[in-house]
Amino acid sequence: MSILANKDTYVVIQGGVAGVNAARRMAEFCYLIKRSLNVLAFVYPPDAGKSNEIPYGSGLVAVPVYKTIAEATKNHPQINTSLVYIGADRAMKGGMEALDDSHIKVVSMITEGVPEKDAKILGAHARKLGKVFNGPSSIGIVSAGSCRLGVIGGAFDNLVLSKLYREGSFGVITKSGGLSNEIIWICSQFADGITTAIGIGGDAYPGTDYVSYLEMFENDPQTKAVVIVGEMGGDLEERAAEWYGAKKRRIKLMAVVSGFCQESLPKGMKFGHAGAKEGMKGEGSARSKSDALKKAGAIVPATFGALGPAIKETYQELLKSGQVKEPVEPASLPKLPKSIEAAMKADEVMVTPLIRTTISDDRGEEPCYDGYPASELINKGYEVPHVIGLLWDKRLISKQDAEIVKRIMMLSADHGPCVSGAYATILAACAGIGLSQSVAAGMIMIGPRFGGAVTDAGRFFKYAVDNKMSVDEFLVYMKKNHGPVPGIGHRVKSLRNPDKRVKELVGYVKSLNIKTPCLDFALAVEQVTAAKKDNLILNVDGTMAAVLVDIGFPVDSLNGFFILSRTIGLIGHWVDQKRQDGRLIRLFDYLVNYAAPKRREVPPLK
Amino acid sequence: MAKVLEGPGMGLMKKWGINVPNYVVVTSVDELTKLGQANEWLKKSKLVAKAHEALGSRFKLGLVKVDLDFKAAEAATKEMIGRQVGSITVTQVIVSEMIPHKEEYYCAVKSTREGSEILVANCGGIEVESNWERVKRLELAIGQAPSADALEKLSKEAGFAGPLIKKMAEFAGKMFACFDNEDAQYLEVNPVVTRASDGELVALDAVTLLDGDAKFRHPDWNFAFAAEFGRAYSKDETEVMSVDSKIKGSVKFIEIPGGDTAMLPAGGGASVYYSDAVVARGGKLANYAEYSGDPPDWAVEVLTEKICSLPGIKNIIVGGAIANFTDVVKTFGGIINGFRKAKSEGKLKGVKIWVRRGGPREKEGLDAMRALKDEGFDITVFDRHTPLTDIVDMALQAK
Repeated sequence: MSILANKDTYVVIQGGVAGVNAARRMAEFCYLIKRSLNVLAFVYPPDAGKSNEIPYGSGLVAVPVYKTIAEATKNHPQINTSLVYIGADRAMKGGMEALDDSHIKVVSMITEGVPEKDAKILGAHARKLGKVFNGPSSIGIVSAGSCRLGVIGGAFDNLVLSKLYREGSFGVITKSGGLSNEIIWICSQFADGITTAIGIGGDAYPGTDYVSYLEMFENDPQTKAVVIVGEMGGDLEERAAEWYGAKKRRIKLMAVVSGFCQESLPKGMKFGHAGAKEGMKGEGSARSKSDALKKAGAIVPATFGALGPAIKETYQELLKSGQVKEPVEPASLPKLPKSIEAAMKADEVMVTPLIRTTISDDRGEEPCYDGYPASELINKGYEVPHVIGLLWDKRLISKQDAEIVKRIMMLSADHGPCVSGAYATILAACAGIGLSQSVAAGMIMIGPRFGGAVTDAGRFFKYAVDNKMSVDEFLVYMKKNHGPVPGIGHRVKSLRNPDKRVKELVGYVKSLNIKTPCLDFALAVEQVTAAKKDNLILNVDGTMAAVLVDIGFPVDSLNGFFILSRTIGLIGHWVDQKRQDGRLIRLFDYLVNYAAPKRREVPPLK
Repeated sequence: MAKVLEGPGMGLMKKWGINVPNYVVVTSVDELTKLGQANEWLKKSKLVAKAHEALGSRFKLGLVKVDLDFKAAEAATKEMIGRQVGSITVTQVIVSEMIPHKEEYYCAVKSTREGSEILVANCGGIEVESNWERVKRLELAIGQAPSADALEKLSKEAGFAGPLIKKMAEFAGKMFACFDNEDAQYLEVNPVVTRASDGELVALDAVTLLDGDAKFRHPDWNFAFAAEFGRAYSKDETEVMSVDSKIKGSVKFIEIPGGDTAMLPAGGGASVYYSDAVVARGGKLANYAEYSGDPPDWAVEVLTEKICSLPGIKNIIVGGAIANFTDVVKTFGGIINGFRKAKSEGKLKGVKIWVRRGGPREKEGLDAMRALKDEGFDITVFDRHTPLTDIVDMALQAK
């Protein structure tokens, strides 16, 4: 048997992330002891109507989230226990809601920093209703082999090591989370383990006292001895001593009390839990508590370290007297399935990756571009063009090349509202479409006739240079195999109306005295084509393409320069329309040549 | 628990209708001079000037001056401000009206397990301590307010007679209202005096302990809480407190001058047992520290650096029980970084480090600690199979 929690305990958890985390730990315990998940519902108004997925073994259980306790217990009438994980400022309201629900018999509050007055009100209310209010600041309650409430008991490995999968003979009551595990562990090492361990909470005035639990343990025939881990402050231990000494008790009581160090520390020093405070006139000190417990007949080892041997001795006596039998360990226990990550770390599985990447990695403390941490690049003076170099061509380009890239970006950032991309973005913006969709609308205009000739221009100029073609040979080759030369020709500019941007870029690149075979070839092509027709000039696409090939960018990346820089312009146009609340655009009739058939009669359907 | 200095304490009492002397809290003589021009009573009344700091025995230290006129109060303020007492520098002085009186009484409200308790005595000042049996009590369950009858009965029991019965009962009632509404844990007025001028009861000196956890519902608590053990917090303590206020989980640090055994244990409960073990073995604690609730590694690193910087330490106890959810690898990572930093700054010479811990990822965490041996640390590492505080025994035997 056990107290407070058993195989029939079903739980609602009040709270968000911390509550879900606790439910996961509880699911691990349920899996270990082969019972279904004992958390049936959550109450967390912001997520009401959703469900939380709790891993159970290798599967997932969806646990519904409700707005109120009443909804939760109406849908799951088996619920008889609530765990409160909500913030200190709302904890009392949540605790009250749970206590006032007729289905719920035990409320355990995990929240820390609950005002003393609130905790007292909850405790008094629970007593009035004949219910148990455990906590606040409780680490939880665990009954070996039957139920875990909260994270008490720690990680799965520890549950197994501490033999929590089957019942022992020792009850445990502690104020401290870490020490509860320590005692459970000691009981499993030096004796046959525990029945129930309760984290009563570290506050000065917890909702329940040791005596209430001692009574319950006294009435639980499986529990033969109870270990109390106390501390200075308050009078819970003295009351326990009084209870124990009042008449002959079935259970053996063992206890340690912390805070002896206080006798040699600066006066008034506060340490440990909130409840661990100096009593007045020696009351509540570790010494007076220990003395009271000893006087009442409890076993009180001199130090915490001596507790293990004392538990062992008690267990041996119980064995000898026949009150307990050596436990039989189960032949096998469920193993918690490993996550893929853990299994890979242990070299136990090999996974074929789904994709492969060679340019970036953000698994560390910050993203690395081709291995270089972003912040280090910034701090050493690198700029956006270098990031482009790293991510598009996996190389750290020179300062000079970066300057060229920067100029290309600036020159092609926007070319007014009338070009296809900007127009499409404006159209979308005026139709009320969002930023990313509107920009995407402009972006899909990029193709061979609008801004998307950069890659092809670069490809063919490079082909000509690589194959040492003459301009004439090249033009013949293009005519025969591909058609018009990409990068040559402009809708509005011509020889008489030259493109300033092209002039600027060519002038700058030329001034650097670097080798530019593609650019030179493109200019030679222009000489010939422009002579035939004066708008067949080298355009921005062609110039960018030639220059970028010359400074070593791969042909496949070239359209990217246009896409990237023009995105700046497209975003600008969207924001511009948004700012002026651009109205919905409908094409005027007079801008359309209605070449469709005139109105005629619809023939009868045959 | 959060202690509040006299000024804000009196402010709260005034809010609930308790008579308190007129008072001002100043940080300079200029401020007092200016207030003197605006407040008649400062010029007209006899005054008391006290250092407004969390200091014990101020009277003996000359930090309380009575029966002053305004000029003398200015002189006293000038003399007190900036005075250094141990680690505390006096930065504030409270100047209050002196209340001539003959009789002194006592009234307090304290938190109990079931609710609260009102204490009243027909004697006051230092007399109360030696006549504790004259203090009469009225116990109240949580949510229960004292009735006028019950308060009068208490007043009578404590030996008040005539019109004082009702006055004291009312005074105690207001004290309870203040206690209950302000989320106090302890409220004490000693002495309560009868003001000669009008025969009203006045609170002369107040001890106010509030429930810091309830701060969220008291937007008017605009004052700082005082250090609780009669000295100001050190720079390192303040720094750890500011880290503590920023993180999930907690880190705590209190310096104890003169010790040689430095504590770096985990968990609010276990940490006290570790300190107990040091004292029980005749060791001298250099500090009290603890981290718990799975704090981030950087916070544990800051705590570790402070501990490594304690003067004259011989041992560092990195103790801990079996954690529920504190990640041993992560928190030990913070400790290891702190140790490395300290070592690179030339600290930890001749210092022995003792480790005992369990919990999530304990093996990896303990292995990482063990590996510090190769870096030249004098470190001994134990796992859950070594009883909790045995490392303290070993550390103190080894010296």
